[in-house]
Amino acid sequence: MGSIAKIHEMLVGKQLSCAELTKSYLDEIDKSNSVLNAYVNVTPDEAMKTAEAVDKKIAAGEEIGMLEGVPMTLKDNISTKGIETTCCSKILTGYKPIYDATVWELLQNQNAVMLGKTNMDEFAMGSSCETSYFGGAANPFNTNHVAGGSSGGVAGAVGGNIAAYGLGSDTGGSIRQPASFCGVVGLKPTYGAVSRYGLIAYASSLDQIGPITKSVEDAAVVFDAISKQDKRDSTSKGSAKATFDTLDNDIKGMKIGIAREYLDGVRDDVKEAVLEAAKVYESLGAEIVYFDLPILKFALPVYYIIACAEASSNLGRYDGIRYGYKTEHYNGTHDMICRTRSEGFGEEVKRRILLGTYVLSAGYYDAYYKKAQNLRGTIISAFNKAFESCDVILVPTVPMTAFEKGNAISDPIETYLTDICTVPVNIAGLPGVSIPCGFNKNGMPIGMQLIGKSFGEAEILNAAYKYQQAQPDKFMDTKWGVKL
Amino acid sequence: MVTREDVENIALLSKLFVPEEELDGLTKSMQEIVDFANTINNAPASDEGFDNINNLSNVFREDEVVPSFPSTEILKNAPEQAEDHFLVRNRE
Repeated sequence: MGSIAKIHEMLVGKQLSCAELTKSYLDEIDKSNSVLNAYVNVTPDEAMKTAEAVDKKIAAGEEIGMLEGVPMTLKDNISTKGIETTCCSKILTGYKPIYDATVWELLQNQNAVMLGKTNMDEFAMGSSCETSYFGGAANPFNTNHVAGGSSGGVAGAVGGNIAAYGLGSDTGGSIRQPASFCGVVGLKPTYGAVSRYGLIAYASSLDQIGPITKSVEDAAVVFDAISKQDKRDSTSKGSAKATFDTLDNDIKGMKIGIAREYLDGVRDDVKEAVLEAAKVYESLGAEIVYFDLPILKFALPVYYIIACAEASSNLGRYDGIRYGYKTEHYNGTHDMICRTRSEGFGEEVKRRILLGTYVLSAGYYDAYYKKAQNLRGTIISAFNKAFESCDVILVPTVPMTAFEKGNAISDPIETYLTDICTVPVNIAGLPGVSIPCGFNKNGMPIGMQLIGKSFGEAEILNAAYKYQQAQPDKFMDTKWGVKL
Repeated sequence: MVTREDVENIALLSKLFVPEEELDGLTKSMQEIVDFANTINNAPASDEGFDNINNLSNVFREDEVVPSFPSTEILKNAPEQAEDHFLVRNRE
């Protein structure tokens, strides 16, 4: 049973009150956050208030929903009305949104108990959570290692049992990669399945909000709750169908494709774990099909060109006039804006703004941005073609396991390469879920990724659930946090 | 080839200051990233084009006036405000 269903049963069965449950999560955050650094802002008062409201409902004999009273967290780039939302950047310190993101509105309607906001790479730009203005989040499996990024705080909090689940955002792997590093489940939905309203933009044509959870059934419950069409996000469509009811469908005859290119350059232990998982699928009656996707080798540069181009435009709004940080001394408005941005943004953010501006500037636009957009079309077609011969694609989530702290930021290109297995999904707008599939010799979790057709969340979660049922030992708990 | 002048120009367009002592390092790192971006030139020529993901099409709706956020709320986040406006001083 997933953590969410377990908590629901405990609350309904009156084994403990929602206030007691919430208190125990808050106590554990108090104890472990100085080490895990998963939370950048804890909101005990709001959490207890919602918990008490849920307890009142239960006491009055009212029915409660599955997510009602379940303690959770949001990545710090998801807007929460009246609660500081910083994107873990100096430039947004003190910023309190005046509206809620649609996902948070949907969860609040279900009385979700938010414990606080979690750590991330600054503006979601990074793969280790270490570009955060508040310092990086630690990996609950080994705190000398990074939690991954950019949604490292959510993954660390869920892996460390100081949140039952959380919402992250994924532009090039920012949900799946930290989920893989922290031994939890991370779902990046199809572009348009979840509203982006209230998600502070990094690269709008790639960004998508999704759940990070302990189990596949939890991911399905949360996805079904947040996947709704929203008129405030013109790219939102909502989900085609609910995913929870089909989790346990037989996967006999399901065709699982493996693109050979995805296994190139992947560390041996990761490759072995993924190929081992393919054997598990065969034993469950699925058919493994190998195919080539040569265009994938261009996915990473295409991603960085498009993402940085969009970021340079999206981050143009930070000028020190309307919200956030403003420089102290200046001479003229141009000077004020430049100083504010130079002092407020971190190194990686500035690097990406500069690259984005470069590829969009006159003389370079055709060679980089336009060419990358054309290749994006080619990559989408290649995936469409691949799905003619398989139902889902199985690949590693990351070519390696969580690296040690301090090793990520020194070489940007080296760090960008860790995203090689995750970015194609964002470029093509497809859904992808990362689930644990083993451990390396040092006990660090290995993740694998199931990629689905557009709006094929039900299929990938079905396949993921079947694997989880067959290999429960791969979903290992850490020593941290609340034990349910 | 990315030059120091390129970086200075791009920084100006991006409204960012690059301190003199960081300019050489940044030029080198930009060159590395641009070299990496250049690898797309080895890709087969494509006229595929890209419009949007998932065949999204424009949804037209009636242009109805709905209440927006009160300006007093919006101004609460401003570093400085005066008389229901954002305040920008010329120097400080």
